[in-house]
Amino acid sequence: MSDALRQSLDLSLFWEYRQVLLSGLLFNVYVFACSAVTALLVGLAAALLRVNRSWPFRWIGTVHVELFRNAPDYIMVVWVHFVLPLLLGAIIGRRLEFHPFVSAVIALGFVYSGYFAETFRAGIQAIPIGHVEAARACGMGERLILWRIILPQVVRRMLPEAVNQLVSLFKATTIVSLIAVPDLMYNVSMVTATEMRPLPLYTGAALTYFAVIWLAATGVRLLSERWRSKIYA
Amino acid sequence: MDATPAIRVVDLRKSFGTLEVLKGVSFDVDRGSVVSMIGASGSGKSTLLRCINFLETPSGGEVYIDGEPMGFRTDATGQRRLQPLSEINRMRRDLGMVFQQFNLWPHMTVLGNVIEAPMRVRGMNRKRAAALGEECLARVHLSEKAREYPARLSGGQQQRVAIARALAMQPKAMLFDEPTSSLDPELTDEVLAVMRELAGDGTTMIVVTHEMGFARDASDRVLFLHNGLIEEEGPPEQVFGAPRSERCRQFLSKHLQ
Ligand SMILES: Nc1ncnc2c1ncn2[C@@H]1O[C@H](COP(=O)(O)OP(=O)(O)O)[C@@H](O)[C@H]1O
Ligand SMILES: [Mg+2]
Repeated sequence: MSDALRQSLDLSLFWEYRQVLLSGLLFNVYVFACSAVTALLVGLAAALLRVNRSWPFRWIGTVHVELFRNAPDYIMVVWVHFVLPLLLGAIIGRRLEFHPFVSAVIALGFVYSGYFAETFRAGIQAIPIGHVEAARACGMGERLILWRIILPQVVRRMLPEAVNQLVSLFKATTIVSLIAVPDLMYNVSMVTATEMRPLPLYTGAALTYFAVIWLAATGVRLLSERWRSKIYA
Repeated sequence: MDATPAIRVVDLRKSFGTLEVLKGVSFDVDRGSVVSMIGASGSGKSTLLRCINFLETPSGGEVYIDGEPMGFRTDATGQRRLQPLSEINRMRRDLGMVFQQFNLWPHMTVLGNVIEAPMRVRGMNRKRAAALGEECLARVHLSEKAREYPARLSGGQQQRVAIARALAMQPKAMLFDEPTSSLDPELTDEVLAVMRELAGDGTTMIVVTHEMGFARDASDRVLFLHNGLIEEEGPPEQVFGAPRSERCRQFLSKHLQ
């Protein structure tokens, strides 16, 4: 075995620094959770705009989706952190600065809202109009229909795709190290700077990400399958 | 007995763009009576039913439910004004509707489908709604399926659940739009049997159907719709026995074997 290979598989150094690395991983989870909630809520709002009856709303929804789906998350994180505060600051006439964590959540939340919007929209449009008319005929109002008839079905339909998108979002959280959010990658870089042994640290980080993502995604899929399958013939 | 009809339709008109689908239709449905509506495909039967509960907004004319105008009010200056959706929804509670495609909500159990509107629209608590729901399921002979999901039921069973769902709102009248047209022949009878029982219990119903047997012996009046107008109307003995309209005679001779 080559030296480099042996080194990269020796994870004792990774284990030694487990505490600081674990706290980094927790940051990934925080950033993930907050940006996932942002992405889902903003994505739902954009999807509702896209299926709206009047075209100005549809147009705003479409611009939103196209803009954020096609913006590289790397650039968005940097832009939101360094440029957006300047723009907003100029508007309100005060110096503004975002906490890196806030910038990370806004950037990732909005980028992924573009993807979720499309998933929501496809899910909403797949609901037969008859389900909605049956509800209207019972005297249900439009908001009630959205929450009780449409969204519960949309969530079940979009779940497999949403899990894939959430996996991508979790992976994307690693780029927040760019703006000094002390996540796992950031801490790995810090430790590397003092220890000068990047191989086991990066290998450990890769394995950790893999394990966390795989366990969570598989868990969600297993738990949701029975719940989902009931509604299909 | 109070003579106010359960449903009164006056000069109802509906156009889609330039296509005039209903050209001035008027009729009454007395309380406790069954009106069957027959006519060729495309003659406007569905549109008529959907205008009654405002799933489509009529282009002209009026609908009265128990004497109360549906959807429109005339203001002080004599202008017709569309009422807000909340008012339309309030009156829709009093009209149960059964669709050709059942349209059950697949993510809810059978009982869930039946008690949804009583709970969310009428504000009934779950316990009372469930008791009412069980009662309605018993009327369609599906008590044992209360905890199943719709996907596990046959088409005939699904349609009977849809009937129970409409009954659970305790409507003043039921509207059926070709309730058996998407069912295999062997499943049609169980649905028609339930509808005959409802008719026998004094439920006010408008039934759009191609089941001439049902129209003939379960209804009090039969309407034959042609090109957006009522072409023939009368008790079933008359419409089936001695139709005055040539078109009605032709339609019946095509559909009566
Ligand atoms: N939403 C709609 N938009 C445009 N045309 C419609 C719409 N609904 C029905 N129509 C047209 O109105 C006519 C009557 O349709 P319908 O009421 O469904 O007839 P029926 O139920 O008697 O078969 C048909 O020509 C149909 O194409
Ligand atoms: Mg029809």
